[in-house]
Amino acid sequence: MSRIPFYLKERLEEVQKRVLYESYEAQKLPVWERITLTWIVLFSFWIVITANTSLDNLIIGGIATLIIASFMRDMLMEDVRHKGHLIEKIIYFLLLYAPQYLIIMAFRLIESNIKVAKNVIFMDIKPGIMKIRTDLHSDTGVTILANSITLTPGTLTLDVSKKLGETYLYVHWIYVETLNREKAGEKIKGDIEEWLKKIFW
Amino acid sequence: MVEENLLVTPFGWGVLVLIFTSILLTYRVLFGPTLADRIVGLNTITTKMVIMIAILSVISKQYFLIDLAVVLLMVNAVGGLILSKYLERRGKR
Amino acid sequence: MIEYLLLAFGEVVMIFGALGIIRFPDVYTRLHAATKCDTGGAMTILLALALYIDASVFIKLKLLVLTFLIALINPMISHAIAKGAYKYGIKPEVVVDMYAWDNP
Repeated sequence: MSRIPFYLKERLEEVQKRVLYESYEAQKLPVWERITLTWIVLFSFWIVITANTSLDNLIIGGIATLIIASFMRDMLMEDVRHKGHLIEKIIYFLLLYAPQYLIIMAFRLIESNIKVAKNVIFMDIKPGIMKIRTDLHSDTGVTILANSITLTPGTLTLDVSKKLGETYLYVHWIYVETLNREKAGEKIKGDIEEWLKKIFW
Repeated sequence: MVEENLLVTPFGWGVLVLIFTSILLTYRVLFGPTLADRIVGLNTITTKMVIMIAILSVISKQYFLIDLAVVLLMVNAVGGLILSKYLERRGKR
Repeated sequence: MIEYLLLAFGEVVMIFGALGIIRFPDVYTRLHAATKCDTGGAMTILLALALYIDASVFIKLKLLVLTFLIALINPMISHAIAKGAYKYGIKPEVVVDMYAWDNP
């Protein structure tokens, strides 16, 4: 290998990274929407935890959570896709996306419990570590996908590796059915990734 | 009014079953072949402890103890993360 | 009535999780049993408690917050322990190990 392909490769990686960064920046939420969403989440958490709906408690909680939300706006809501108006987004999330996800995950969790009980009784295991590819790039989206994969039957996330533009997950599979990466990815991820791509970047 | 006998409701029996599973898991904590096995056992026992606190607070009608269960769960999270970080560092040496 | 069914399901799942932690051969398969059975059993028992309790709405909401936090925290810790155990040097008994191909 000569020197020029290495140089070209580095240059190409740099350009690709910059394109990815620009498209990521263009899809972010504006600042005030981030602050509002974080404030709604933190304020509902405050009301539930204190269990007190008197007026002074609500005023104190609102001011304190507003101050915290203005500092922490990039930590919770950085990776949400920019699509539609704010109220429209909240209504869609509460009425359509969250119940869909909860129903999918509840049935998957019951199925995985029964499967682990079956594995404990019969001990029919053939474990392996697979590498699968996802289309999600943001931190929050990859975290929720990894947690969902851990709760679905027979799989456990080991590690995440982020190369430019592509994210790979290493999954410990308790009964290896296929060695093909594409089929394994379809079997492991299921329809959770389709759901996550609607909300997270 | 706090009830004297815990075994009036089925949830009291549930606490007994949880204690039994914790005693089963103590085998893995004491005789685990490696360090990671002990950490797995400890985390599982702590999660069971959180649920025991929640059930007992509901049975004896002392509802402020649920806050304590939330705090114990968060301590469990931080402890597990720090122990796993310790495992990672120790392997590199 | 339905809360007692949920409670019984959760207890049975917990017992199978403990048996799995004792019986499985290595750390990663033990983590399977620990994470799935613990999370499922804990969530069903806390849902049963939220149905059983006769108190104000905020206490039920507090139990639901506890359920949500368990579902968020438990898989995260299992992921951290699995990665730490691999870096610590515990070799898994597996058919195919694609993680060792990329990190020699």
